[in-house]
Amino acid sequence: MSMTLGRRKGRPARPRTGNRARSKENRAAGLFLLPAFVGFAVFYLYPTGRGIWISLTDWNLLSDPKYVGADNYVEVAEDPLFWNALKVTAYFVFITLGVQVGVALLLAAIMVRLTGSVVVRALLLVPWLVPNVTIGLIWLWMLDANLGFVNHLMGKTGSDTHGFFASPDEALLSVSAVNIWAGTGYVALLLYAGMLQIPGELYESASLDGAGEIRMFFTITLPLLRPILALVMVVSVIGSFQIFDTIAVTTKGGPVDATRVAYYYIYQEAFTHFRMGYAAAMALCLVVVLGGLTYLQMRLLRASTSDLA
Amino acid sequence: MSRPVIRRSLRSPAVRMSAVVAGVVLVAAGCGSGGSSGGGGGGSVKLKYSLWDDNQLPQYKKCAEAFHAKNPKITVEVTQTAWAQYWQNLTTQVVSGTAPDVFTNSVLYFPQFQKNNQILDLTSYIRRDAVDLQQYQANLADVWTRDGKRYGLPKDWGTMGVAYNKEMAQRARLTPQALDAWNWNPVDGGDFGRAVAAMTVDENGRTGLEPGFDKNKVKTYGLAIAYEGGAVGQDSWGPFAVSNGFQYVDRNPFGTKYNYTDPRLTQTLDWFAGLIRKGYMPAYDKQSTVGADGLLQSGKAAMTIAGSWMAKTYTADGKVAFAGMPTGPTGRKTPINGLSDAVYANGRHKEEAWQWVKFLASTECQDIVAGEAVVFPAITTSSARAEAAQQAAGRDMRIFTQPVATPGETFVLPVTDQGDRILDIVQSAVDRVWLGQTDAKSALGQANSDVNALLKK
Amino acid sequence: MSTSIQARPTTRATPAKPAAGASERRSSRRKFSLGRVLAWLVLGVSLLITLFPFYWMLRTALTDGNHLYSDSTSLWPENFTFANFKRVLGLASDEESRAAGGSGADLDFLLYTRNSIVYTTAIVVGQTLSCAMAGYALARLRFRGREFAFAVVVGALMVPPIFTLLPNFVMVKDLGMLNSFAGMVAPTLLMTPFTVFFLRQFFMSIPREIEEAAMLDGAGHWRIFWRVVLPMSKGPILTIALTTAVWAWKDYLWPLLVGNEPDNRVLTTGIGVFLQQSPNARPDWTGLMAASTLSVVPMLILLVVFGRRIVNGLDFTGLK
Repeated sequence: MSMTLGRRKGRPARPRTGNRARSKENRAAGLFLLPAFVGFAVFYLYPTGRGIWISLTDWNLLSDPKYVGADNYVEVAEDPLFWNALKVTAYFVFITLGVQVGVALLLAAIMVRLTGSVVVRALLLVPWLVPNVTIGLIWLWMLDANLGFVNHLMGKTGSDTHGFFASPDEALLSVSAVNIWAGTGYVALLLYAGMLQIPGELYESASLDGAGEIRMFFTITLPLLRPILALVMVVSVIGSFQIFDTIAVTTKGGPVDATRVAYYYIYQEAFTHFRMGYAAAMALCLVVVLGGLTYLQMRLLRASTSDLA
Repeated sequence: MSRPVIRRSLRSPAVRMSAVVAGVVLVAAGCGSGGSSGGGGGGSVKLKYSLWDDNQLPQYKKCAEAFHAKNPKITVEVTQTAWAQYWQNLTTQVVSGTAPDVFTNSVLYFPQFQKNNQILDLTSYIRRDAVDLQQYQANLADVWTRDGKRYGLPKDWGTMGVAYNKEMAQRARLTPQALDAWNWNPVDGGDFGRAVAAMTVDENGRTGLEPGFDKNKVKTYGLAIAYEGGAVGQDSWGPFAVSNGFQYVDRNPFGTKYNYTDPRLTQTLDWFAGLIRKGYMPAYDKQSTVGADGLLQSGKAAMTIAGSWMAKTYTADGKVAFAGMPTGPTGRKTPINGLSDAVYANGRHKEEAWQWVKFLASTECQDIVAGEAVVFPAITTSSARAEAAQQAAGRDMRIFTQPVATPGETFVLPVTDQGDRILDIVQSAVDRVWLGQTDAKSALGQANSDVNALLKK
Repeated sequence: MSTSIQARPTTRATPAKPAAGASERRSSRRKFSLGRVLAWLVLGVSLLITLFPFYWMLRTALTDGNHLYSDSTSLWPENFTFANFKRVLGLASDEESRAAGGSGADLDFLLYTRNSIVYTTAIVVGQTLSCAMAGYALARLRFRGREFAFAVVVGALMVPPIFTLLPNFVMVKDLGMLNSFAGMVAPTLLMTPFTVFFLRQFFMSIPREIEEAAMLDGAGHWRIFWRVVLPMSKGPILTIALTTAVWAWKDYLWPLLVGNEPDNRVLTTGIGVFLQQSPNARPDWTGLMAASTLSVVPMLILLVVFGRRIVNGLDFTGLK
């Protein structure tokens, strides 16, 4: 899939002809867009409208919805658990992303230097291919306070045992560590592919100038990798905001709300307590928060387009 | 109930369009929908029945076979889901309209199903088929009524006791007689508190009563309880608090005000939290997934609070015996908790479902249940059989049956609306006490007002 | 905001080789430096940490359930047995299963795997195709409202799925499609904003000249799309199809809500149910690890067979 032809930016060509060609192109576009549009209209647009309506009602799915105006939003604003959920989520995303991208960068840089082995990369990728439910189970077992391998190992080395998922202080970090473990290989591979794009001559001339590995990493690799890094970050942030499966299997939001992230809280209100209106209101508030965040990230992405080429 | 919603939304154009898409999808997916439990042709009916106790799965499968033999046209499929997920699953299924035709019901969740008209009022069926309500253990049947309507027939009951490791008790010089006559109070713990300390042993072999006991290196905990006791603490703080004079609600069933700020409760919780602090109970934040049961069986704990339905499991290897609950300041108390079977109101085979419920609550099935010697069936004659079967298997169940025969020794768990949300709120507050983050009084103050605000709604 | 996320004409010629060559060249300078040893060490430890939990899972799955309580860090299974696998696959009787610490429940592995494959395949095929078409139109065709349409896609990208999840659940329920494959695949069968966005970005980078040449030959847009654009975009389409497939394979929440009958349960929800059927008093860890091992197997097979393709397919460099 090498495409070294032409350097023109992918701007749609301007047909020389007038209205007829234009309307033909309009029609073609309509056809091309139809399936995706149907999917969008039915499963994004309509549910968005309906979600807003649900958020204005008191509804348990069993009886008819009752219109309550902005009551749910007032409750959201006053609900310490909602704010706690946002805080916990933010903390989780921050830690997960920070460590994951850091470690992935290191691994990618090492692989570029040492080996292009498909086997090594495939092995690093294994956790990413496994469902989070299975991963949650494996780690719930590995980190069990009495029977878990990690505690056995710590016991052998004479250190104190840990509750991990059972401890309010360690639970979120444990969930975070599990997700880092599961996702780092994938991120490393994406970054590795990005690093391969950086022309080798840059390194050669830099090393002639006497630059060391670490300096080259910070002066060449990192700046030139920024567009890819930004994209990977966007994808990872979206992904880690949706943390649900691991928590559903391991901590169920506990202990004492320590891991009750936004997704899990909304899920509980909607499908454990069947407070659809309240859950929808919280979801909408989350959209607003996430929207702001994504906007910032997009700005970041744009700021970084001019680095290479 | 939910019908008008469906009809209204089907009229909207977007939904109709999505129906078209759905048709396409259906073809694309290639495999069609699975469909739910099919009535189908030939007049044969398949009923779904769900329960949570894996220990009782075999006997109910036997009941299902016996029922099928009597009613060849009805097949019952029994599924088991662990307690922790059972209610989550069931509520989701109820909302989706795919709940099992018959399910085991608990007093904690009964009101919310009843309130939303999701379980069938059985009054007319009971009258029609002349089911004798006197055959059941006293008080068990009437828990399932509200406003004169009856929503279930009792199937079994259980009381609580203290399971202890026989060898460890002996080492602590505690005889079974002494254990049976023990007392407890929230100030110094009484005999029970001393027993807990005496059975706690650190890695140097010192017991909790000896000077120099190292609470950070405990080998065997004197007591392990289920920390997730929800709103009632059935197998943990509940019986102790009640024996201290605590009452959960202003009236039962369907009380309107909880008393979680009652000092007789907070004292009790603080006493338990003290056990954790002293190293006599495992730290909350170092819980294993295997829970109190695993701790007892692996010798990491000497005692736990357990229900009569667990006797068979606990005593299987002969290391564990049971003692009655200790006598508190206002006497010896154990919750008596019965289950019932409920019929899903939107099921397709209500008559057949009723036949199955009736069978479950009959001597025929309850005698089968009795034979397995796991629980006490609700019918008194079957219950006597169960005790005999337990005796035959070498298990002395008197500590579980005696409170039932003695006036004032049993109490019924609170039945109120909003049970699921109350559970979350109280559990959160009690968790903070277990963690030592705060004392019971301040933890439960907010919880109590939240709970009572919910009930006012 | 959106249009500035420009696709750059890819200047990369055959990904791995030249760069790998370059790195060899670079690294040949110093053969046995401390840095290199350290780097190998980091890589080795990472691999160990990555893979060990899977080994421990297998080790537990092969251990006799009644021996779990013995405090052990032994790397070899204690009382080696296949009984757990038998139990999970439903090949043991209820009594045997209970004696080994289970609840008598089993995992209908073949059925759930088949369901996972159906679920994943339907979504990957439908979504990739439909989104490729949309991406092409957004990148290449000039029509009224194009900018607006693309802005909508980018906007939708920001909406967390939990928001549409609730109303979608209600809709699927109202349509009577709960517990059917139709209901399970419906919301993602035709589009996700990310796939449209991803492919649009890529199509932007295809040189204009190729299309113009085809147009001079009299080909219409439909033909150009199928005959020119799609064949040229095998790489990114593979990337996005792979990402979608892994995502669908791992999906848990949505199938949990709408596909919870044995007939259409996928592997993830099947494992969830098996966990739920674990005995109340203590989870059946050996059985659970056996079930987990089984759930990993299909993906491992895929990785062994298509390893190179999958590994090289993870490449976002076409988009910048």
